[in-house]
Amino acid sequence: MEPIVAVASVIAAALAVGLAAIGPGIGQGTAAGQAVEGIARQPEAEGKIRGTLLLSLAFMEALTIYGLVVALVLLFANPFS
Amino acid sequence: MLDTSYGLLSLERNSFAFFTQFKPWLRESSTIFPATFCANLKNGLEMIDLVPMSLLLAKLEVGEHFYWEIAGLKIHGQVFMTSWFVIALLLLFSVLATRKIERIPSGLQNFMEYGLEFIRDLAKGQIGEKEYRPWVPFVGTLFLFIFVSNWSGALLPWKLIHIPGGELAAPTNDINTTVALALLTSLAYFYAGFRKRGLGYFARYIEPTPILLPINILEDFTKPLSLSFRLFGNILADELVVAVLVLLVPLFVPLPVMILGLFTSAIQALIFATLAAVYIGEAIEGHGEEEHG
Amino acid sequence: MSWTLLLAVEEGGGLFDINATLPLMAIQFLILAVVLNKVFYSPLGDAIDERDGYVNSSIVGAKEKLAKAEKIAQQYEQELAESRRQAQAIIAEAQAEAEKVASSQIAAAQQEAQANKEQVQKEIDAQKASAFEVLEGQVASLTQQMLDKLLSAA
Repeated sequence: MEPIVAVASVIAAALAVGLAAIGPGIGQGTAAGQAVEGIARQPEAEGKIRGTLLLSLAFMEALTIYGLVVALVLLFANPFS
Repeated sequence: MLDTSYGLLSLERNSFAFFTQFKPWLRESSTIFPATFCANLKNGLEMIDLVPMSLLLAKLEVGEHFYWEIAGLKIHGQVFMTSWFVIALLLLFSVLATRKIERIPSGLQNFMEYGLEFIRDLAKGQIGEKEYRPWVPFVGTLFLFIFVSNWSGALLPWKLIHIPGGELAAPTNDINTTVALALLTSLAYFYAGFRKRGLGYFARYIEPTPILLPINILEDFTKPLSLSFRLFGNILADELVVAVLVLLVPLFVPLPVMILGLFTSAIQALIFATLAAVYIGEAIEGHGEEEHG
Repeated sequence: MSWTLLLAVEEGGGLFDINATLPLMAIQFLILAVVLNKVFYSPLGDAIDERDGYVNSSIVGAKEKLAKAEKIAQQYEQELAESRRQAQAIIAEAQAEAEKVASSQIAAAQQEAQANKEQVQKEIDAQKASAFEVLEGQVASLTQQMLDKLLSAA
C-alpha cells in the first residue's frame, strides 16, 4: 500500500467516526431533553416515553455506527490497498 | 498508539487484519518511524508475557475467518459454531419450558411466557391486532436469535476456545449473519404485502405521488442495508471497544463499557425485531409510515 | 456494497467477506423459526390463550356471582329496613296505646276523684245546711230563753 493512501485512510477513518458523532450527539441530546420535559409534565407516561426514547436513541446511534463502519472499512477492508 | 497496539495484538502474526494489510508498508517504511516506536513494539511484546490472561481475553482479530469448505463453497466456520450454540440454547430452553405446560406457570415456563408475551406485544403494536399472529414466529425468532447471539458474544468467554483461524464471537458479529437476517426481513415484508394485497402492493410505490417512485424503490434497498449494518456495526463496535479497553487496562475499567455493551446489544435485538415488524406492518397496511433509520 | 463483495473475492477474507455463509445462515434461521414455532410459540401461545379464556370465563362467572350476591345483600338490606320500620311502628303504636290508656285512666281517676270530692262537698253542704237549720230552729227558743232570763233578772 502506498504510504500516502495509508495516511489518508487513517485520517479519513478518524474523521468518519468523529464527524459522524456530532449530528447524532446533538440529536440525542435534544431527544433526551425533550423526553425529560415530557416526563416532568406527565410523570404517569414515563414508561412509554422511556421506551420510545430508547428506540429513537438507538436509531440516532446507528448513524454514528455507519460512520464507524466506514472507518472500519477504511482500516480493515481498504478498497484502495 | 498504533504501534503499541500492533505489538500487543499481533502475537500471531496475522491476527490483526488492519496491520496485515498495512504490514508491507510498515515494514518497508520502518526507516520512516523513529526507533522509539520499534522499542515500544518490543516492550509491548514483553508485556504480553507478563499478563497472559488479559491477552487471552483481549486478542483482537478482525476480518479473520475459520473457513470450512462444503461442496466447494467457502463458509465461515466460527459463525456457524456459535450460531449452533445459540440455536441449541434456544431449543433447550423452549423444550424445557414446554415439557410440562401448566395453567399456573412457574419457573422456566413463566420466564418463557414472559418472553413470548413481550414478543407478541411487540408484533401486535407494530403489525396490528388482526394480522400479527402469523408473524409472531418470524419476529420472535429474529428477536430471540439476535438477543441470545449478542449476549452470548458479550457474556461468554469464547476467546478461551482456540480455533485454527479467526476467533469465536457472537454470530451477529459477522456481516453474513446480519445481511441474511436483513434480507429475510425484506423477503418477509414483500411476502406479507403480496399475500395481503396481491399486485395492488405495487401501488405503494407511487404513493403519495408518482414523483416519489425512485425514493420508494430506493427504500427497499436501504431498509436491509441499514438493518444489517446497524446490527453488525453495533456488535462489532462493542467488541472492538471492549477489546481495545482490555488491551489498555485489563482489569475493572472495561466493566462499565461491557455493561453498556450488554444494554446496547439488547436494544439492538429489540430494534431489529421492531423494525422488521414495522416493515411488515407497513406492507400489510399499505400507505407508508415514514422510514426509520 | 458491490465493491466490498469484489474486495472479498479479491482478498479471500476480511471484514466484509460475504460468501455462502449468508444463504446457509438464512436457511438455518428459517429452520430455527419453524422449529421454534413447533416447540415454543405454538404450545406456549396456546397455553397463554387457553389461560386467557379461562381467566375471562372465570371473571365472567365471578361477576355474575358478585351481581347475585349484591342482589341478595340488597334484598337483605331491604328486609332489614322493612322489619326495622315495622319494629319502629309497633313500638310507636304500643307507646301511643300505653299513653292513651294511661291518660284515659288518669282522666277516669281524676273524674272519680272529682266526683267523690263533689259528693263529699255536697254532703258537707247538706250537713252544714241541716246544722244551720237546726241552729236556726233553736235561735228562737234561745232568744226567748235569753229574754226570759234577762226579764226575770230585771
